[in-house]
Amino acid sequence: MATTTSTGRSLTLRRVDSVAPDATVRHIDQLDDRSLELFYAALEGGRRLTATGTDLEPGTVVVATGYYRVEAA
Amino acid sequence: MTEYVIIGDGISGSSAAETLREEDPESSITVITDEGEALYNRILIKEHAKGKLPEAPISIHEEDWYEERDIELSLNTHVTGVDTDEKVVHTHEGDEIGYDKLLIATGGTPTQLPVDGSDAEGIHHFWTFQDARKIRESAEEAEKGVIVGAGLLGIDFAAVCGAQGVEGKYLMRGDRWWRYALSGEGAEIMHEGMRDVGVEPVFDSGVDHFETDDDGQVVAAVDPNGDRYECDFAGVAIGLTFNTEYLGDIDLEQDNGIVVDQYMQTNLEDVYAAGDITRFYDVLLGEQAQNGSWGSAKEQGRIAGVNMAADDEAEEFEWVSSYSITHFDFPFLSFGHPTLGDDHAERKYSDTEWRRIAFKDGKVVGGVLIGDLAPQSKLKQLMREQRVVADQKEVLLEETVDLDDLAPPQEQ
Ligand SMILES: Cc1cc2nc3c(=O)[nH]c(=O)nc-3n(C[C@H](O)[C@H](O)[C@H](O)COP(=O)(O)OP(=O)(O)OC[C@H]3O[C@@H](n4cnc5c(N)ncnc54)[C@H](O)[C@@H]3O)c2cc1C
Repeated sequence: MATTTSTGRSLTLRRVDSVAPDATVRHIDQLDDRSLELFYAALEGGRRLTATGTDLEPGTVVVATGYYRVEAA
Repeated sequence: MTEYVIIGDGISGSSAAETLREEDPESSITVITDEGEALYNRILIKEHAKGKLPEAPISIHEEDWYEERDIELSLNTHVTGVDTDEKVVHTHEGDEIGYDKLLIATGGTPTQLPVDGSDAEGIHHFWTFQDARKIRESAEEAEKGVIVGAGLLGIDFAAVCGAQGVEGKYLMRGDRWWRYALSGEGAEIMHEGMRDVGVEPVFDSGVDHFETDDDGQVVAAVDPNGDRYECDFAGVAIGLTFNTEYLGDIDLEQDNGIVVDQYMQTNLEDVYAAGDITRFYDVLLGEQAQNGSWGSAKEQGRIAGVNMAADDEAEEFEWVSSYSITHFDFPFLSFGHPTLGDDHAERKYSDTEWRRIAFKDGKVVGGVLIGDLAPQSKLKQLMREQRVVADQKEVLLEETVDLDDLAPPQEQ
């Protein structure tokens, strides 16, 4: 499972159509409140999200209204 | 050395096992499950049934996860009885497993529709990974589907029909989906979402009986009005029956679920419960309540583990649960207890945006957000702070919620 990230690096979300069998996939309801807030802000505002204080790791696919892969910006 | 036994390897049981190992490294921990696989992601199996997600990413723990932590995992083992005097758990194979402290984390099983034909081939209930595999196979072959159960789990069947190209009819007893939490305006947004994926909501309907062919395969659902809906696939999600039958007549306090306090303790010494199965004391609500969500079950397992290991009331469960629906173009989030309370406020903002906030004694106790989830963290914060705000509904219904616009909290 993903662990808390403590670096200040930026992340972006990329919508993907399919998921590789070895991908780490998380449902949006598994995110903690802070990650959820930043995730939706990034999705709606098209902004980058900082990894600080979130439990999102690059490479993870988050299942929300679409499938979004978290990538290092 | 303390011996802990956990019945159930869902997220609550598994999270308790993990916590117990961290808190009590020398102890013996046994996890018993009647499923044939170790913990998997129950809230992602719907994506597998939709045909969108392969199996592998849904698994959470391999069996070596337990070995590495020196946790004994018993798969395919059904607990048939618990003797709380002798402190022994009985299994279907006749084994007896002794414990010092017991955690009951056995969740529920979908309730079957009490109508003729409800056990026909092609009629599905949705709880396990095995169910998801069968639903996927069946939906891939199907042309016409019927869905029953106008709640959070029923809508997953609608999404499966949509994703698998099955023409669906969603038969609802009332005039809208999830009528306990949504008004007509909010529900209509969800109905549009269903229609967009090819599922037609049918109101004031339901199922009187199913028709089957000579092979026992479902061919139609007939509603109480006599209307007949052809189908070769049906999804039933009318509720959960908690898995407590194996507890027999032990003196455990139950009230449609196992009653626990905020420490996950039952009325019996050394017996704890966690997850969907509990009716827990909600410190934010000030009364007993139930949650049916992943995050809550995980946290209840953790809290149970902490208190079992401490042999004390070391930490209480204080949680605002969330439940999302991700099947449509717009997001949906329900939080806290949106169907409880004594007052509410709601507003529609656009064809895809709606908000409802539930209050009890003036405090936020839950809500539903459709389309725009931005206010969720602020509303949850107010719920955690237990601030009296029901007299300031206008501020909370502003499109952008600014907590600074609220009058300062009163001394209580
Ligand atoms: C299709 C579906 C979609 C869902 N979607 C969401 C969602 O989007 N967001 C969300 O937050 N929640 C969702 N949920 C709810 C969430 O999955 C549950 O709240 C959570 O998994 C409950 O965990 P638990 O550990 O309490 O129970 P469970 O996961 O039900 O685990 C209980 C385990 O105990 C086992 N067991 C039962 N009786 C016995 C016995 N006598 N002996 C041995 N083992 C036994 C069961 O087989 C099971 O493995 C969904 C549920 C389903 C089914």
